[in-house]
Amino acid sequence: MDTKRITHLALLTAISLILFTVEAQIPPPVPVPGVKLGLANIITVYVAFRFGIWDALMVLLARIVLGSAVTGAVGAMIFSLSGGLLCWLVMIPLRRILTQKQIWVCGVVGAVFHNIGQTLACIAVYQTTAVLVYLPALLLSGMATGLFTGLTAQYLLKRLEGRL
Amino acid sequence: MLKTRTWIIGFAAVAVVLAVLAIRLSSPRSEGNIAVISQDGKVLREIDLSRVTEEYRFTVETDDGGSNEILVQPGRICVSEADCPDKICVKQGWLTDSPLPIVCAPHKLVIEIKGAADAVDAAAR
Repeated sequence: MDTKRITHLALLTAISLILFTVEAQIPPPVPVPGVKLGLANIITVYVAFRFGIWDALMVLLARIVLGSAVTGAVGAMIFSLSGGLLCWLVMIPLRRILTQKQIWVCGVVGAVFHNIGQTLACIAVYQTTAVLVYLPALLLSGMATGLFTGLTAQYLLKRLEGRL
Repeated sequence: MLKTRTWIIGFAAVAVVLAVLAIRLSSPRSEGNIAVISQDGKVLREIDLSRVTEEYRFTVETDDGGSNEILVQPGRICVSEADCPDKICVKQGWLTDSPLPIVCAPHKLVIEIKGAADAVDAAAR
């Protein structure tokens, strides 16, 4: 890995950390646990398509570990981790089948799987299936926010091509 | 390669199914008015809300010093105060007969109406 690539990835990790931290300050709009914008996912999708799936994993893990340290919610790390990893896993096949104009799909599916991962972790941690009741609403919000972050990543990739 | 239109139609169909599920799961159930308060998977208290005559409060504390104040009134229950970062549990408001539980994720606290969870199993089948 050359120096330019490391610098670029470090910069993107820093940006995703900023997005993550700023988002944590926004009060939750609806009283459903787990609903959030997921702005940091823009960077994950961007890195997955611009650099590669393994680079995306590195940036993702760095962001989750540093992010929980910065926001102080270390206990919530298990939710970020399970959601993030599941989201990353579905990106592997998606990256192969999507065209340049379909990158938004990655945002939607990624967000949905992030929510599924969160819920699974929640069931494992609390030993209760009560949180399953929220899953449909959670997935719906995930599809909407995922569409937004996915489209953002798609336009970023298009505009920044050959410039960075 | 799937066409963009295929993706859009697929997502729209999934969204409709999810919306129907979300609405069905949140509709109240007639029987069962017993609130179960559990933390970390362990049941702390069970309160029959239909037998509550006077308002009272109690506090649930976590191992690491966090706390949630729970307010009980005839027929309903809520988290009135909490020192968790997001305060989602407080914002969720009153729980009467809805199958949607009050969840305080940072404090691993769940308040649910007994019997209401059956709706989840029914939907899962």
